Amino acid sequence: MKSNTGDLIFTTFFAIVAGFLTSALMLLLLGLNPLNVFAEAVAIMFSDKYNIGDIFVKSTPLIFTALAFAFTYKANLFNIGAQGQFYAGAIVAISVSLALQNFLPPAIVLIITLLSAFVGGALIGTLIGFLKARFGANEFLVSMMSTYVVQAVMNYLLRTFLKESKGEYPQTDAIDASIRIPRIWEGTRLHAGIILSVLVAVCVYILLYKTSLGFRIRAVGLNSNAAKMSGISIRKITILTFLISGGLAGIAGFTEVNGVQYMLIQNFNPTLGAAGLGIAILANAHPIGIIFSSLLFGGIEVMGNIMGRMSGLNIPASFIQIMQGLVMLFVIVSYFIREKIAVHRNKKKLMEAMEDAD
Amino acid sequence: MLISLLSRVITLSTPLMIGSIAEVYAERSGMMVTAIEGIFLIGAWGGFVGYYLSGQALYGILIAMICGLIIAAIYALITINLRQHQVVTGTALNILVAGLCAFLQRVFFGIPTTPLTVEPLQKIRIPVLGSIPGIGDILFKQNMITYFSYLLIIVAIYVFYNTSFGLTVRSTGENPEAVDVAGINVSKVRYTVVLTAGLLGGISGAFYSIGYLGMFTDNIIGGRGWIAFAICFLGNWKPSGAVVGSLVFGFAEALGIYFQTLGTNAFFPTELFIALPYLLTIILTVARRSFNTPAKLGIPYVKEG
Amino acid sequence: MKKTPYFEMTNITKLFARVVANRNVDLEIHRGEVLALLGENGAGKSTLMKILYGLYKSDEGEILKDGETVKIQSPKDAMNLGISMIQQHFSLIPAHTVLDNIILGTVHGRINYTDCEEKVQKIVDKFDMDIDIHAYVRDLDIGEQQKVEILKALFLSANLLIMDEPTAVLTPQEIDKLMEFVRSFVDQGNAVIFITHKMKEVMQVADRIAVMRNGEVVAEFPCEGVSEAKLSNLMIGHQLVEVKSGTRKVEANTEIGLRVSKLNYTKNNIKILDDLSFDVGKGEVLGIAGVSGNGQQELCEALYGSIKIDSGLIELNNTDISNFSTRDRIETGVGYVPVNRHDDAMVSDMNLAENVLLRSSYDKAWSKGPFIGEKKLKAYSDNIINEFDIKTPGSDQKIGHLSGGNQQKLIVGREVHIGSSLLILNQPTRGLDVGAVNNIHAIIVDQCMQGKCIVMVSTELSEIFSLSHRIAVMYKGQIMGIYRPDELNTEKIGLLMAGYSGDEVAAHEK
Repeated sequence: MKSNTGDLIFTTFFAIVAGFLTSALMLLLLGLNPLNVFAEAVAIMFSDKYNIGDIFVKSTPLIFTALAFAFTYKANLFNIGAQGQFYAGAIVAISVSLALQNFLPPAIVLIITLLSAFVGGALIGTLIGFLKARFGANEFLVSMMSTYVVQAVMNYLLRTFLKESKGEYPQTDAIDASIRIPRIWEGTRLHAGIILSVLVAVCVYILLYKTSLGFRIRAVGLNSNAAKMSGISIRKITILTFLISGGLAGIAGFTEVNGVQYMLIQNFNPTLGAAGLGIAILANAHPIGIIFSSLLFGGIEVMGNIMGRMSGLNIPASFIQIMQGLVMLFVIVSYFIREKIAVHRNKKKLMEAMEDAD
Repeated sequence: MLISLLSRVITLSTPLMIGSIAEVYAERSGMMVTAIEGIFLIGAWGGFVGYYLSGQALYGILIAMICGLIIAAIYALITINLRQHQVVTGTALNILVAGLCAFLQRVFFGIPTTPLTVEPLQKIRIPVLGSIPGIGDILFKQNMITYFSYLLIIVAIYVFYNTSFGLTVRSTGENPEAVDVAGINVSKVRYTVVLTAGLLGGISGAFYSIGYLGMFTDNIIGGRGWIAFAICFLGNWKPSGAVVGSLVFGFAEALGIYFQTLGTNAFFPTELFIALPYLLTIILTVARRSFNTPAKLGIPYVKEG
Repeated sequence: MKKTPYFEMTNITKLFARVVANRNVDLEIHRGEVLALLGENGAGKSTLMKILYGLYKSDEGEILKDGETVKIQSPKDAMNLGISMIQQHFSLIPAHTVLDNIILGTVHGRINYTDCEEKVQKIVDKFDMDIDIHAYVRDLDIGEQQKVEILKALFLSANLLIMDEPTAVLTPQEIDKLMEFVRSFVDQGNAVIFITHKMKEVMQVADRIAVMRNGEVVAEFPCEGVSEAKLSNLMIGHQLVEVKSGTRKVEANTEIGLRVSKLNYTKNNIKILDDLSFDVGKGEVLGIAGVSGNGQQELCEALYGSIKIDSGLIELNNTDISNFSTRDRIETGVGYVPVNRHDDAMVSDMNLAENVLLRSSYDKAWSKGPFIGEKKLKAYSDNIINEFDIKTPGSDQKIGHLSGGNQQKLIVGREVHIGSSLLILNQPTRGLDVGAVNNIHAIIVDQCMQGKCIVMVSTELSEIFSLSHRIAVMYKGQIMGIYRPDELNTEKIGLLMAGYSGDEVAAHEK
């Protein structure tokens, strides 16, 4: 069905606006004037470079978890466990960082930590992929449950081996200042992780659309039967995509531990996986689109935090999820509208052609 | 002591029982209710708020059902009428509901200094049956939602195999075109089961807040909606399978609580018991080799022409 | 005075997103008559009948019953008017029993199974259907499944039965039985509309014929005294040049290219391939005839490597490929055009160039390291498009947007290049219009000239006869015999297809 990019941008834009408008209505329940609140929040957001920087900071891990879901989605597989793979990456990142921090030059430590975080997430991913490939286990369920299991492991570790020296809170010691991911914008929290995330997104794009492997992954996703008949090993593709997918989510563990928190805190960033899924859908699983959708979601989060800090208004953090959820729902609806427009347009063309011919 | 454990198994299985049976019906018609986690959550919230504000547990359950119904209706609209992707729509709704419940708590109650509580549903002893040694204490000293679940099981199994509706639902998930051609409105069938899942899921959610804990927290459901979802799957899409599955998971949960109260942290970390149901799901998902998956599960029905 | 027709369709027009399926169509059917709706694939016959049955809504036009306008907006409306349709793709629930399939939609509330059993069994006996109503539909063969479809209609007391290409899946003997049923049904005052593209069947059973072409009814007349040539002319719009059998000669000393020996394959305790053995010479077409479902699909897949046989030998050009994976066989030069191109051979959402790449993604010829050599691929694809005269704006067009004929041509074109030694074709011209069929037949003949072994499975006997050097008939996983085309006639091959052994058939002839 011919539906052009113009339609896509148009309807998506309206969907996002509709999402904001509906969530604005919720503010009425708090007795607030939504227009004022939004206007003020936007003003605050763009007036202070710290806030602008924070949009990118929030978007960075989202890009990774969104890429993680999108990557397996391209193969028609469902990795719902990005949250757990993110935690796995984080666990590895903090462990490696703390272990190596004063033994090796900082740059080396950072690179090793990055790679280890990838491996941490990739291990979980590979396990899920293997269970699916070898036993035909439903990856949707397995990946979803894996998050809860990893979470339990993380909590256990935070209570025992990784617990901070003070022994007070369920968190680790802070990493040395030398192995923090360097900041790239004076006066903000913005760190080099954003550059990494954009680079990785571009690499994923190239992998999926310009390489033979990416072609095979997409073929499996679009028609696994035809792919199998073409000599493509569905099993290998399953394991490989889950490996990469898990690894991508794992890198988010690195950026958050070494770039933002500088330690591992219990249950931090609890909605990263789910938000990533939502972003991937918004962007129709396209790696470049994911960059933009992540920025949108990052922006929503920053705006929500700003609203929460606006004194006297009492806007809870949960408002962020309301905005995200509503935007997602409206975008989903917009897919339908776009399809209907395309069919209607084509039919009209045909009828006109028929009348001309008579 | 064993009695109290088994009694707790029945108690903890109840919401899973209700939720998974609802999911079985829905999935047999081809609909994966991926919004089930959100439905549970809003049921828990609605049940709590209804009970707290009115003082009557029954009103709480009613509100819970309505809340679940609304979410299910939105889900049905987008997945059936608009034919959009079920996993994606469910995820969006789950995120929205999570935010909504916490937000509305703030709207209704501000930031309370002490957590708000209600009296959890009482355990009612059924005369005569409750006096049977052993079984009487386990099965017939439960709260009213559990008794409702007993009724539900019987009705659900009967309807599934012996009525036109049951046959229709089972056929819809296998070949909606055949059902359409037989003159039955496929959308209507799917709407019915999904909306019912909303009602029943709402009750399940309410069980956690007003039937068990006596309060509402943001994380009260903690993935149990998904466990009900998984039970449908592991129970091979049969109501009887759902019953067995729910008991198994109820047992896993009850066991976890038991060990935690024993304080055997030295031997098994508490986290292991918390993770137990989820690990169990993974193991069972892998172990089960053949499934009677409804042929058209998850695929929107598109009428040509 | 003209008799009021039982049902009448007037001025029906139906548009889809990209095609005019029906254009100002008028059609009538009377009680007690069999109307044959004749036309080649894509003429609009199925669409028209689906409108009558309420599955589609027409964009213009009316339907009348006994002279009065009726509204048919769903199959339920149609059934209430006594119309039932048996489609090419059955609307059955494989996982349920015959009984459950028949009563679906007719029972309310509690199901009284004893009562239902009685009623259904009565109809089964009345029409001599020979079927176990407690059997699971998935265990029935296609001919029996069709009977279930018919029973569904009879259970609903249908008076107008629409049958869409019902004989595609039957042996000649089963076709005869079906025609008997149709006649007896119609003699009771009912009506049947028979959709087909096979002229012989039309002559066999119809009282009246309506010919459709390009979405319009181009002619309508009684069946008596009509010649096949006239019908074919009307269907296609011009004279068909028939590829006559006998123009193909078998060389005396052809080198054997493909040797298949004692293939065995069992699934679900059923022997699907039973000690199968045959040879194919280089440059020879071995036609595999037989009713669908007798192991032909599995034979093709066994040759291609997509199923694992239990035992047996497959030797191509003196290399044992029995244990080669599909990927290895592709590299060895095996090409395969499967029967379900949508499932097995192409990805609708990818463009033509990508579909060409599909079978060859491991081939170094198209890659620059890990990357796809896009220019090379495009050149190659354009080559195929030109060589096989595929109508498309370009190789970047999504294959799903092409017509069925052009899609098949691309797949055949691709496989022909890959299959340098062996070409496996499974129903290569199914569902295509005559132009595309001729194209593909010409391609097949050309491939023979290049010395390739060709195994062609087909249910169209005319195709088998005109293209094959030798014909093998398959029945329940065995080869009932291998013959030259001039050794067989329709009756003989029908018996072989129905399971009679070569000896029995020979004895029958005497």
